Amino acid sequence: MSEADAAYLASLAPAAPSAYHRLNPLTKAVAAIVCSLGAFVLGGYVGPLVILLGGIIPSAISARLLGRLLRISILLSLPIAISIVLVSVFTRAGTTVLFAIGPFDATLEGVDFAGQVLVRLLVLSTAVGLFGLTTDPRALVFDLERRGMSPKLGFAAVATVEAVPSLIERAGVIQAAQRARGLDTEGRLIARFRGIMPIVGPVLLSSLTEVEERSLALEVRAFGRPGRRNLLWWPGDTSAERVVRWVLVVGFLGLVAARAAGLLPRIP
Amino acid sequence: MLELRGVSYRYAGYAMAVVHDIDLALGDGEIVGLVGPNEAGKSTICLLACGLAPASIGGGLTGSLVIDGQSMTGRPVHELAGRVVLGFQNPATQRSGVAATVFEEVALGPMNLGLSVAATLARTRAALERLRIEHLAERDPARLSGGQGQLVAIASLLAMNPRHIVLDEPTAQLDPEGTRLVGEALRALAATGTALLVAEHKTDVLDGLCGRVAVVVDGRIVLDGPASRVFGDERLEGWGVEPPSRIRLSRALAGTGVDVTAALAR
Amino acid sequence: MAGTWVRIGIGVLAGIAVAAIGLLALGTVAASTDPVTGGNTQVANGIMLVLAIAILVAVVVYAVVEYAQTGRIRSITSQFDTRTIVLIPIAIAINIILGQTVSAALKVPVYLDSIGTILVGALAGPIPGALTGLLSNTIWTFILGGTPLGSPYAWPFAIVAAEIGLLAGIFGRLGFFRSRPNTPTPKLLAGAAVALVILAALGYWGVLPAFTKGVTFFGDLTTVNSFFVVVAWLIAIGLVGAGIGLVALLLVRRDLGVAFIVVCGAICGVVSALISAPISAYFFGGVTGSGTDFLVAAFQQAGSTLSSAVLQQGLISDPIDKTITYIVVFTLLQVLSRRFTARFPQGEQAVGLIGSD
Repeated sequence: MSEADAAYLASLAPAAPSAYHRLNPLTKAVAAIVCSLGAFVLGGYVGPLVILLGGIIPSAISARLLGRLLRISILLSLPIAISIVLVSVFTRAGTTVLFAIGPFDATLEGVDFAGQVLVRLLVLSTAVGLFGLTTDPRALVFDLERRGMSPKLGFAAVATVEAVPSLIERAGVIQAAQRARGLDTEGRLIARFRGIMPIVGPVLLSSLTEVEERSLALEVRAFGRPGRRNLLWWPGDTSAERVVRWVLVVGFLGLVAARAAGLLPRIP
Repeated sequence: MLELRGVSYRYAGYAMAVVHDIDLALGDGEIVGLVGPNEAGKSTICLLACGLAPASIGGGLTGSLVIDGQSMTGRPVHELAGRVVLGFQNPATQRSGVAATVFEEVALGPMNLGLSVAATLARTRAALERLRIEHLAERDPARLSGGQGQLVAIASLLAMNPRHIVLDEPTAQLDPEGTRLVGEALRALAATGTALLVAEHKTDVLDGLCGRVAVVVDGRIVLDGPASRVFGDERLEGWGVEPPSRIRLSRALAGTGVDVTAALAR
Repeated sequence: MAGTWVRIGIGVLAGIAVAAIGLLALGTVAASTDPVTGGNTQVANGIMLVLAIAILVAVVVYAVVEYAQTGRIRSITSQFDTRTIVLIPIAIAINIILGQTVSAALKVPVYLDSIGTILVGALAGPIPGALTGLLSNTIWTFILGGTPLGSPYAWPFAIVAAEIGLLAGIFGRLGFFRSRPNTPTPKLLAGAAVALVILAALGYWGVLPAFTKGVTFFGDLTTVNSFFVVVAWLIAIGLVGAGIGLVALLLVRRDLGVAFIVVCGAICGVVSALISAPISAYFFGGVTGSGTDFLVAAFQQAGSTLSSAVLQQGLISDPIDKTITYIVVFTLLQVLSRRFTARFPQGEQAVGLIGSD
């Protein structure tokens, strides 16, 4: 293969605007998993905050998307965060009552618990958010395929990424059509619930009936052939990254061992 | 040479056959049209001709699919891919949904065959060139017009290097511009020596493209012959097939006493 | 065929053996738990662990026996034909979109995020079902993590989703998704009675212990805030109403399949509640950001510990959620053309043969 061909194939890979983007997808995945699980194993405030301020935030700054990351994590965390605050602060049993609203006592223990859970959630949502923002799903899947994952599994994962927005688009089209026929999809809860059903049905049916033709079209292109295939491009990997991954994994296992041995402070 | 020999077929779980005693041959480099009313069995014949029925969708088959003298009965679909492939109506459902560029979309088939990167590259480029859509190579396949999408789908089939291509109503879901694009592409393809079997509702697409046309009615081939004779056949409209506009025009004009048959003949 | 039953039998036996050993071992742990609330944290955690391990062992033993019998694991690989692989992304998209709109936007105490998983399980088999669940929650978190559709909190529940798909696959293989129209009335009533007995048994041994051990609903009501007594009565009335509704539905649809589906949904709901409660309590303080959080708050206010409250919430909303989901999938399978469903690896077992009704 000529140099020009190699350059062309390399150009098919997604653009990587920063060094963090260019990391091997598996490295970023391991980092995200270890950071989020690490926060849960450590518990308390100090451990998760160290992970957040010492690991995730600097990485996000180096990838130049701190603002976007914080916006998306807060957006995605908001519903669950509100629930945690309400449920834990007001209904968790405790001895030190801060104030009361009707039958609901806000206890110090509840506030403390909610605070700890919120910190862990922030670590989890920023860790996976950073991974999602800096990693092209195809790069991840090709990397895993190169390491031995079945190409069929990879196909299912990548195809989902396109299936989600196309299903939403389809729902939008059907919703517009139903609304044109006078169906109410706004307003009160019951009206909304009633409005959803005539959209869900056709969306499900139309996308499922496409499965048949889609799978025949793929079979014609030898999709059913068992065995491996040669990829056109895949993300690079370095021995330094390999070391980092092992350090992260071993460090995490160390934390788990410390937790099991009772060396870490108790989680409420 | 692709032949359906005495083929009758019923879908899985159904007692009744939907096509009966089909004898259809597609010679090397030949372009054959398949016309007929809706539900006549055109799509089923397409599935049979490329072996998807019954290899992929089950069902009961009598008779056989023979390619270059070899029976294809019992072969898995991916083994048939280099001999015959099938294209469908809807460009969106034929798109794999996993490729970020048209180039990778077309390359998917050769990659599935387990070819080397160099071979995949060569086949993909050749396929794009044969349809003259190299300029689309870096585009996102999800953001193409219907006609362009159908060309990419056909290029994806060409990349399998098949000797025969079956197309099931390739222009049915396209606007006039898309139909024109695909029609031109089929003509260009015909000139390169790949055998084509094209099921079409729009006889104008087939007119001037096919050397031979077969008419399917109620699951049987009722007429099979040179395109000029089939399209000129008086029974065509009775079977629910609209003759090409060239024929209708000359008939309409003949009714007024003007004979343009010679001028419109191709 | 006999070989198949041998390996299913050995697999199930192995799973039951592991579960029994695990539960016996748990007995001693349970005795030493928090005396203040009679807390079932340890029990719930233990049950989850035992169940997960038992299911895993059962599947592995099944595969090993098949490999010993035939030298291949064809029953697993054959569940993954091209059609299944193409269905999985659509199913995951359905899970994610419905999960997102129903739980986050409507704030009703159900999730409806497993329709796709159960559909794949029913049509393709237990292993693709489990894989769909697993992939679903993983993709929701990691691959969509940087988009407004992502959910950072789905991933820890991947094992629950996998279990839901696995169960659906087994139910599909057993033909429980089949429609049985025009069932004669005596048979219908007998079916309804059996279904109600199974549901009652499930409620008595599977759901009730979580409530009576603590301080709440069906225990001593005098010490509890009267607001929650009202809630308890509403739920009790709801449960009885659901039973009546089932009988009515059976009589109206005249389809015994509905009874199968409701029982399957309830079983699936109880199992997923048991497995998901400790995850939810440990990771997220018991809440999910959806309408179910109200229930957790109510139980906690009524005196349950967090772990108990989450389990109690799960045991109420999960059976409802999964029963609705099963009915949706059942209806979908009837509406989809037989020509389509029958082509999946397990399609014929799941929906029955064409022309048999």
